[in-house]
Amino acid sequence: MTNLLEIKNLSVVISEDKRVLVNDVSFEIKPGEAVGVVGESGSGKTLSALSILGLLARGLKIESGEIRFKGADLLKSSAEDLRSIRGKEIAMIYQDPMTALNPVMKIGEQLQEVLDSHQHQITDQKTHILNGLAAVGIADPNRAFDSYPHEFSGGMRQRVMIAMSLLLSPELLIADEPTTALDVTIQRQILALVAKERKRRNMSMLWITHDLGVVANLVDRVIVMYAGRVVETGTVDEIFKAPKHPYTAGLLASLPAAGRDRERLESIPGVPPKPWQVLNTCAFAPRCKEARDICSSHRPELTSNESSSVACFFPLGVKQ
Amino acid sequence: MSLSINNVTKRYRIRARKSVVNALNGITLSVEKGRTLGIVGESGCGKSTLARLIVGLEPPTEGSLLWSGSPLGQGVKNTFRSRHSKTQLVFQDPYSSLNPRQTIGACIAEVLKTHKLRGDAEISARVIELLAVVGIAADMQTRFPHQLSGGQRQRVAIARALAAEPELLVLDEPVSALDVSVRADVMNLLVDLKNKFNLTYIFISHDLSMVRHISDEIAVMYLGRIVEYGTWDEVLNNPKHPYTKALIESIPEHTNVRGIDFENVLEGEVPDPANLPQGCAFHQRCPLAVESCKLKVPELLNATKSHLVACPEVLK
Repeated sequence: MTNLLEIKNLSVVISEDKRVLVNDVSFEIKPGEAVGVVGESGSGKTLSALSILGLLARGLKIESGEIRFKGADLLKSSAEDLRSIRGKEIAMIYQDPMTALNPVMKIGEQLQEVLDSHQHQITDQKTHILNGLAAVGIADPNRAFDSYPHEFSGGMRQRVMIAMSLLLSPELLIADEPTTALDVTIQRQILALVAKERKRRNMSMLWITHDLGVVANLVDRVIVMYAGRVVETGTVDEIFKAPKHPYTAGLLASLPAAGRDRERLESIPGVPPKPWQVLNTCAFAPRCKEARDICSSHRPELTSNESSSVACFFPLGVKQ
Repeated sequence: MSLSINNVTKRYRIRARKSVVNALNGITLSVEKGRTLGIVGESGCGKSTLARLIVGLEPPTEGSLLWSGSPLGQGVKNTFRSRHSKTQLVFQDPYSSLNPRQTIGACIAEVLKTHKLRGDAEISARVIELLAVVGIAADMQTRFPHQLSGGQRQRVAIARALAAEPELLVLDEPVSALDVSVRADVMNLLVDLKNKFNLTYIFISHDLSMVRHISDEIAVMYLGRIVEYGTWDEVLNNPKHPYTKALIESIPEHTNVRGIDFENVLEGEVPDPANLPQGCAFHQRCPLAVESCKLKVPELLNATKSHLVACPEVLK
């Protein structure tokens, strides 16, 4: 099957001093597939996603790489072409719906704007919007249409964002920590809604989060990032049941879980480095139990093996 | 020695809306010395208000809070301060709880001076000692908070709380703002410190897995009331209240791949604390609700000797 999205050797730098933030990142998303990108703050997960839509902040620059969506390189697309893709073929939802929604514009107008900017051939636009709001579980769509974002709770605002993102039936939905700011019972409602809509529309999804629990329950395949690079990829079962990279394994072991020892958590010493500090070595080596000399003198490349890949000289569970 | 919270109520008046928010409604709790009480609940349930009351940042509207028999948060200013030093608070976000213009050494020294815990000559040695206790090297004391990582900053915030030589430490979401890979380290530190200084903890979090890890007893709060209380094992492995059950089922566990049930989701939202429904505050979302739930606020009653539940339907 051809890939819907292919990112090849993407590098993002700070324009001014060329410090690297995302370093040689490659991954792909197949049609209908849900992919989770996990990593800590500064690991480059959000920047990789923003690069897809050409939404990097001023001061950041894509240094090299390709981002192919249905075969065409988005990095070579004109601003106009990108505009026609954004919101229509690729939509995005953000962590904080209050800052993503316009506070002085009624919900209905904001959704209408999506349709207007894509000159869509929908004859009864208001009905389309009201149906969209109803589909995400908004009880009174007519009232919501004429309300402002501040009149809604955080969970309801996120529902509005999801309705907006699905309005033109995108093929790919990018979600950047959309449930992090929500309470757990509301998070479950939103995850259930997204899972249902994805299935119904056979939509692909890129879900960015630091929450391993969410990823384990929502996606098909996982990409683990550390200090600007991809360190491991695999199916959700491979990553959570037999992680190969010591970072992935360490992270999973460090989290308290039902049935685990309550006395002591397995901690990872130290803190994550900045991506530009670790260009030619394994970024995790100083914190790694398995590290040997080669890890702090050479950089392990991401090597694939069927459905999974790992960037480690001494991957776990693999005979040396 | 113990903390006892007796029938505490906290109301805030909102002038602009001409309404009253009942942040806490008749909370009664006690914590024995050396124990850890975990408090869980979603935003707006009153858990942080309770934290502020316990350390005396605000007085209760009604009821009393006592630490080994003497009241917290009701004294005149001077005695108030000295009582205070027995209870300290560690905030969620070490980025905003530390003064950005003060070196971390000065920040800890300030506590020692305020509470007159050391003479001028001993202060610098004590600062170094406190930093060592939380695993921060002495030469870091001249650094400013922005030069530290999130985990280090939270360690400094913990050292600052310990400087006052507290007996009770209130930890309000102490690891939620930290990177996932450094959370375990800070949690282990908290466990070590508790044993070393024989501290009593109130551990407040929305993250049930952290609460499960550290707590002896757990109280579950919903809209200003305790709906369930018991040992950690009773509350998490044998939850009774429908809200506690829903909360536990809502946690996506990384050890249980694809295990979360997206079919039977707790519907509805937490009601506005300024406009609470009559009766049980949970009845609009509750799968077990009957007519009487809409009329009367359920009392917290014993399911077993140590396990309390505020739901007559599950106690039948």
